[in-house]
Amino acid sequence: MKTLDPLTPQQLARAEELLLNPPPGSRIEAARKYGIDLTLLVEQLRLTPAQRALKLQAATQAVDQIRGIARRRC
Amino acid sequence: MQFDKALQSLCDADVDFVVVGDHARSSTRRLVSALTPFHPRPRGLADLPFIWDEATLRNSTVLTLQTDIGEIDLLAEVAGLGSFEDVKRHSITLEAYERKVATLDLPGLIQAKRAAGREKDLSIIPELESLLESGRD
Repeated sequence: MKTLDPLTPQQLARAEELLLNPPPGSRIEAARKYGIDLTLLVEQLRLTPAQRALKLQAATQAVDQIRGIARRRC
Repeated sequence: MQFDKALQSLCDADVDFVVVGDHARSSTRRLVSALTPFHPRPRGLADLPFIWDEATLRNSTVLTLQTDIGEIDLLAEVAGLGSFEDVKRHSITLEAYERKVATLDLPGLIQAKRAAGREKDLSIIPELESLLESGRD
């Protein structure tokens, strides 16, 4: 099974270039036109997989807390 | 949702599973043992009689559970990919929460999202395809 490792500086630079200056006709350009904020993807790619997992957990727990507050107020 | 506790418990019980987006599926006995401490029960059906054991797991293709550490969905197969073995072929290992965890690779996740066909699944596809095209799998 393949492993998902952190990006090398070269891989990150290439991905950033493509995401911030997408080639015409590419899927990345289509995503930007669709409304995707590609800078957020760059921000994610700068993190290691472990850091992304922790960020996901923090975001999910924040949403859970907001839901809890909302339920108590209803 | 406490992803860390859920994934650490599954890994420590030597459960064979693949994380699919934010869902997981695996083999039965170890899975029952790993999740028992978190009191799994059917989500939204609190009054329904429910026994968390291997028989329940074997007789279900989809279980949507509420646990003490959050919501966990268990899937016997994934639309667009197929059985657990098919899903494993589309998986990739990463290190998270101090464990090695198998999760769907990007092409597999895109395939599954497209097959699911719900608005919330389809709307994420341009983002996933951008990641794929930028060279990250």
